[in-house]
Amino acid sequence: MAMRPELEEVQLLEAYLRGTLSEEQQMDVSVRLLWNPDWQQKLAAQKLAYQAIHLAGRQQLRRELDAIYVRLFG
Amino acid sequence: MNSTQTLPREVALIADRERTMERIYAQTYPMVRHYIREQGGSEEDAKDIFHEAMIVFYEKTALEQLTLTCSVSTYLMGICKNLWRQQVEKQRRKTAWNETQTDLVWEEPEDENELPALKLMGFVEQLGETCQSILVSFYYFGQRLEQIATQHGYRSVRSATVQKFKCLERLRKAVSHLSIGHFKS
Repeated sequence: MAMRPELEEVQLLEAYLRGTLSEEQQMDVSVRLLWNPDWQQKLAAQKLAYQAIHLAGRQQLRRELDAIYVRLFG
Repeated sequence: MNSTQTLPREVALIADRERTMERIYAQTYPMVRHYIREQGGSEEDAKDIFHEAMIVFYEKTALEQLTLTCSVSTYLMGICKNLWRQQVEKQRRKTAWNETQTDLVWEEPEDENELPALKLMGFVEQLGETCQSILVSFYYFGQRLEQIATQHGYRSVRSATVQKFKCLERLRKAVSHLSIGHFKS
């Protein structure tokens, strides 16, 4: 299953943020970001997406802990 | 005996979260409760503080690959003591402030980040159960794509990966109109 270009781009930006690209690729993305406001916007949105996931995850963990409390000590 | 007991703790915590957390909970919470009560706190205080400590522990272990050099109970107890001290200190300062103000306002001041946080989480919920579960399992709970693929009935890790990026792209689109300046955390 090949990924469409939009998804490849999401994947590339993710690798960029994680710093897992090769030095050369990392540089390419940095340069592209410098000159491309559309990409800057996409990167900003992607960071926001990770933040949203983190918050949602934490909320789920809190709910799971509440449930354990009720099961064991409630 | 269940099979996860032979796994390293970090692996068990991620691969079998609920049971591993429940075991840690059963082992540690009574100690925390005892301590908080001795310090004049309530059961509710003990529970809240313990949950915050468990969240710190999970995030450090699963996301930052922290390896503990002491037992989980000792580690958690240490966090709880710190959190309790901070809470007491905060309460003390608030009381001192209120006394000088003469009017007693006991409500917590509105956290400025609270509303955007709720709004942000709302975007994840709007993706639907499958996307939400895949994204949270992978990015927050640190689960491996193999496990996510199995849980969601994907034939291959590759399809789960593609699905994960589709969900992430949808989320990215959904939040793209928001200004980043709103969400400093």
